[in-house]
Amino acid sequence: MSALSLSGARSRATHVRGPRRVRGAMFVVPYLPLLLLFGLIPMGYALKLAFTNDKGDWVGFHNFTKTFNDYRFMPAFKHILVYTTVWLAGLMIFVVGLTLVLHSRASRVSSTYRFLFYMPGALAGASSVLLWLFMLDPAVSPGEFLLKHLLGSDLFVKSIAPAHLPYIFAMIAFWTGAGGWIVVMYGALNTIPTELEEAARIDGAGPLTIALRLKLPLIRKWIAYMVILSFATGTQLFVEPQLVNQASLGMVPDTWSSNQLAYQVAFRFGDFNGAAAISVDLLVIGLVAAVLVVTRSGLFRRDE
Amino acid sequence: MNHRRLWPAVALVALAVAGCSSSGGGSNPKSTGAPGGSSVAGQPSSSGGGGAASGDLTVWVDAARLPAAKAYKAAHPNVHLNIVTFDGDGNGASTLQTKIQLWNRTGSGWPDVIFSEQVNDPVWMARKPFNFAAPIKGLVADDLLAKWPAPSTAQCTVDGTQVCVQDNLAQVVLWVNKKLMDQFGYTVPKTWQEWAALGQKAATEHPGYIVGTMGESFSHWIYLWGDQCPLQQADGSKVKINSTDSHCTRMANLVDPLIKNGTVPPLSVFTPDFAKKYGGTNDKVLLMPGPAWYGLGVFDSTLHLPAGQITAAPPLQWESEPVTTGQVGGGPWIVSRHSKNMKAAGDFVTWETTAFNAKGKDARPGYPAYGPLADEWLADQAKNPFFAADPGPALKAAAGQIWQGWSLVTYQDQPVWSNTVVTKLVQGSSLSSLLKPFGDALAQAAQAQGYQVSRN
Repeated sequence: MSALSLSGARSRATHVRGPRRVRGAMFVVPYLPLLLLFGLIPMGYALKLAFTNDKGDWVGFHNFTKTFNDYRFMPAFKHILVYTTVWLAGLMIFVVGLTLVLHSRASRVSSTYRFLFYMPGALAGASSVLLWLFMLDPAVSPGEFLLKHLLGSDLFVKSIAPAHLPYIFAMIAFWTGAGGWIVVMYGALNTIPTELEEAARIDGAGPLTIALRLKLPLIRKWIAYMVILSFATGTQLFVEPQLVNQASLGMVPDTWSSNQLAYQVAFRFGDFNGAAAISVDLLVIGLVAAVLVVTRSGLFRRDE
Repeated sequence: MNHRRLWPAVALVALAVAGCSSSGGGSNPKSTGAPGGSSVAGQPSSSGGGGAASGDLTVWVDAARLPAAKAYKAAHPNVHLNIVTFDGDGNGASTLQTKIQLWNRTGSGWPDVIFSEQVNDPVWMARKPFNFAAPIKGLVADDLLAKWPAPSTAQCTVDGTQVCVQDNLAQVVLWVNKKLMDQFGYTVPKTWQEWAALGQKAATEHPGYIVGTMGESFSHWIYLWGDQCPLQQADGSKVKINSTDSHCTRMANLVDPLIKNGTVPPLSVFTPDFAKKYGGTNDKVLLMPGPAWYGLGVFDSTLHLPAGQITAAPPLQWESEPVTTGQVGGGPWIVSRHSKNMKAAGDFVTWETTAFNAKGKDARPGYPAYGPLADEWLADQAKNPFFAADPGPALKAAAGQIWQGWSLVTYQDQPVWSNTVVTKLVQGSSLSSLLKPFGDALAQAAQAQGYQVSRN
């Protein structure tokens, strides 16, 4: 009797779990071939290339030491470090700050602002850089006044002086990417039940306290998600320096960022193994950062 | 969102496997649409051997050579010409190196003919790992080849084989605004010393006018090459780079005060800033040492200076030393060794270099390298209303005065100059203080390409 009911319960359980699993798989399956083709296989291929030479013989860490000792390696990674730090800090502070401000405002005003913030992001990658090249040229820029007084530049070549570049790229990336994240964060804030907010208000919390003590902790995971994705994007900077290299007639080196260096090593010097080693460096950096953020923020912890 | 930058591995492999010309996410702005597949072998001409060229032909040219390529197309209806424009490797870009690597890797897609603005490109194109350039002998008739000047042929000869023909000679002369000089009552300088003195004088008497620029990616070819600075003396896989030789430092010391007083600004003539300040009706260019193609290519079509003012004077000499001058460009035509239509490729190159010679305002900007054409071109320039006086004699004399102690090497020195020197000049450093770092950076670039470098 008891055995019967047990098996019955089990069959009911599998009956419930089965379709759910199938349903879940249906969401994942269309992405799997793409993940495999453009994610995992290339990654495996890069790993293989990084540890072999052009004849396919195992060379251990030779490609890594060789690229590490290249005179362009350290500057490129230094540039990326500064850029990513500036950009991520800016992104976190301003995206979260602006979203919190937006969310505490009347909905009609905030939807207008949301749209305004999103607008610059509608310009896709390369075109936004081209736009910025004009913005940075005092001869044609509407922000000539700001360029002169903030950057001290009355010429385009002064705007893109080597010391300015990480900040300039961070600014470009912020303007094109931040709007999208503000919309995402806004969506995240909307998932917070209004009762929670009301309860806090009844307890005497002002808008600032609600934003910092209630809303911020509740969207922590979204912030972590943003940081992981943005970190990977940031360390793989390519389009901006590449275009500025062209626009400045070569004044900005074509190996400014680590990703550019990998590109040059592969396609100019024909050293695919060396390029793969640099790619693997970037992969490791991205993975380590992701693991840190995930474990620190409890991104995948489910405490329901 | 943010799929703009793929994982580098993905980008690398997608490129390598698909062999497509532009990388994912448009990360390579230089690609201007490579031929989708390899150009199919030309259809055998119906006449069967002999006669005019025919079939498919893909050529890569820069913007300045586009009219010439179009002219060939119009004159040769039998050839199905596919013209692709690209940056011409200008300012030492690595466009062609990256493209050829890709084509080599995929085993297809090579164009039949390439024009490069980089006079040193054939050097690496003819060698491993690129192995791109085909020997030019047999493609261009021997009796024609003999009419290129010997130094030009030498520049196109790599490891004993001629692999290109130069489109134009790019000898540096002194460009003069005759109208302004007459108006100010100045005489045209003959030596660098006179030129520098004039720069000082102009700075006080007529501030705002300039006597040169130091902001090009190739300014060192004008000022240092011309003064025999040993920055690039290659011998096989060895190269001598001595940026602190007296031939380099004395020129830097001469120019530094002029950079400081604004008569030699560290600004490129190709920037909007330059055109706005000195070009057009502002007309602030008093003198400018520059290559032969500056006459039409820069003063006329880039800066739009008024007609009837500019002319050329002989290159400047150092005190009473013999005249030597620099070179900026002198772009070569290169035929691909992978071409399936060698006959048409040879015909195309021959026509572009020895036959095409539009007159008047359609004239080629550069001084034709092919001797007989040069004379015709000079005669045409003499009649060109843009010039205040015939620039011909100065150009012709300078053609033979390019200093031969500057070798062509496989690495691009222009970006090195731009990002170690020009960026610092802009911020107020002196050229003298930058010569040493410039030499160091050149040495690194040379070593990365496998050269053994000696520094003195």
